[in-house]
Amino acid sequence: MPDPLIPRLKQLIVETLRLEDVTPADIADSEPLLGGGLSLDSIDALELVVRLEKEFGIKIASSEEARSAMASVASLAAYVRERGDPSRLPS
Amino acid sequence: MADTAAPVRVTDCGCATPFGDAAATHAALLRGERALVPARVLGKEGGDPVPLALIPGRTLDEDAPPGWLPTVRRLAASMPEGDWGSPRRPVFVTGSNFGVGGLYALRRSGDLAFAAWGAPPTCTERLREDLGWGPDVSILSHACVSAHLGLLEASRAVESGLAEEALVLSFDFLSPFVAGGFHALKILNADFPAPYRERPSGAIGLGDGAAFAVLSRGRGEWVLEGQSLFNEMHHFTSNQPDASGFTECLGPVAAAARGRRIWFKGHGTGTLEAGRMEVRAAAQAFPGSPLVGWKGSLGHTLGSCGLVELAIAIESVKAGRTPGTIGDEAPAMGDNVAFSGFANGEFDGVVCASNAFGGAHAAFLLTHA
Amino acid sequence: MPEMHIQSVFTDEGRDQTPAEIRERLRGGYPPGATRRMTTLGLMVGSTLSRLEPGVEDAIVYATGYAESCALEGFLDSFPTPSPTLFQTSIHPSGVQQLLIGRQRAVRELLPLSGGPLLGFHALRAAFLSRSARVLLCGGEERGTWLLDYGLASDRTFAFAAALTRESGGAPAGRATLTRAEGAGELGLAEWFDLLHGRRGFDGMVAPGWRLELEWHASPT
Repeated sequence: MPDPLIPRLKQLIVETLRLEDVTPADIADSEPLLGGGLSLDSIDALELVVRLEKEFGIKIASSEEARSAMASVASLAAYVRERGDPSRLPS
Repeated sequence: MADTAAPVRVTDCGCATPFGDAAATHAALLRGERALVPARVLGKEGGDPVPLALIPGRTLDEDAPPGWLPTVRRLAASMPEGDWGSPRRPVFVTGSNFGVGGLYALRRSGDLAFAAWGAPPTCTERLREDLGWGPDVSILSHACVSAHLGLLEASRAVESGLAEEALVLSFDFLSPFVAGGFHALKILNADFPAPYRERPSGAIGLGDGAAFAVLSRGRGEWVLEGQSLFNEMHHFTSNQPDASGFTECLGPVAAAARGRRIWFKGHGTGTLEAGRMEVRAAAQAFPGSPLVGWKGSLGHTLGSCGLVELAIAIESVKAGRTPGTIGDEAPAMGDNVAFSGFANGEFDGVVCASNAFGGAHAAFLLTHA
Repeated sequence: MPEMHIQSVFTDEGRDQTPAEIRERLRGGYPPGATRRMTTLGLMVGSTLSRLEPGVEDAIVYATGYAESCALEGFLDSFPTPSPTLFQTSIHPSGVQQLLIGRQRAVRELLPLSGGPLLGFHALRAAFLSRSARVLLCGGEERGTWLLDYGLASDRTFAFAAALTRESGGAPAGRATLTRAEGAGELGLAEWFDLLHGRRGFDGMVAPGWRLELEWHASPT
């Protein structure tokens, strides 16, 4: 069964990073978020972290941890599921 | 452009850090003391604990007039007198943040008293009036290489004959604006900095700092040579993976230092990748030169770091002893990293280097005349 | 030090456009997706400077009094959860870095200035003191919003880029001469922009003790 968190994350990525000419449906679950086809960089990753911290109550301590969590949308979803406030996660 | 044989010299130099003036700061570093302490990243509004070093009596939250003004006034009182700001004695003010703490306070409180010092032009103009300088006060601002640019422009003004003497003033004082920004970049966190140390994640600390230098030609004990710049323009917060930016900047300095025995005062904020590249580049350009960095104690003093650390380097040469890299312990990123202080009498000079966002690099060679 | 030749000049006076209109006008000059983090000042300085094709051995003198006012406003408004993007973008000299990083174009010497009533003069002086064969003197301002209400931002939006050389070369567009003189005067950044944009000649004091003569030879590129 698809994880409802994944479409929400894709929506957040497009909105927060103001991606032009990209829709959430264009982002594959396994798409590398950094260094991939979206051309996102470490600053984008950190901007996304701020949004994710606000939305899901997670806490990312360092830039190294942010990079590790953002290997792909799927890995980010797993990270958020593991560390987020359960009351804020889509079930 | 006139370019005579007499080199540009530093005739006077001083700084203000949480430890005090240059001599007091040098002594504290030799004792291995750390100015950084845990503090709330947003000041009175709380937030995560991060390592900050504030001038005693200052709070992170700004006052109106700014809480850092007495520190700058005290520093100015130690400068040689002169008609600073006149056509023959221009002033170069450098920094990264100026009165931005006041802008933060203005936006949070709406209190118009904070507006007067809020932007670099207005902050500098207020300072100019407060210190009684003439109108020729220019502003150079390029993040953490700002002070180097001030020294370069002042050197050129003196070398060209445009100025008889030139004053460089560099200052950067912390605020929730600055601390919050670096915290958002995840490089200012609960960990204390350990420059040039191999560890799983990096961290910086931030510190208050201010410094000045007077440059002239033919007078003064300290010679500035090989001033070099390079801007990678690879990424805002990271460097070319091959460290070519560091190498490009250090090349001219190494040429100026050829045949001389040098120690190396690095930038060393505590970040990992840049630290590794700097260690490697310093070892290649200056084989056998011990590398030190003092931001593990003082924190990163941002736009003022180049001049604050020059003042400490001068004090080190005067005293015959260079403080080691505080906050550091094995394993180091390279064999050239000096954990402990060392006698510097057998060295001919020191290379001082700083780096900044955007892959900006700046360095020069300082020798005793 | 006395004279430099103006080889090329490009200016953008903002046309009283909103930031959104300026973005729409200029985004075609950048690769797809490249402008999403760029500021109005960055877009305009980038568009003018890029026409001079900066090289690594050029010196760039970049002057702006208030820099990225809108990013600064946005960053201040993002607290208590500050935006790393807006923090980064608000740090001088972001405006010129946005272009050069986007193009991966290294430059040895970059001198970013800020200032008030003498900023035009100080930028010229920095260009004259540079030892590079070609100096790209660029800069501008973007109009602020709430910062402007406090007198802490520019009320105009404009950008310029001019290539200056010590050698006259083939057919320079103009010539600038800075000399010592008795008297006082001021040349701010907006005034310098107006001289470039209107290709207006000038002969007068631009700072205490300094006189500028600016002359234009022919229709500039």
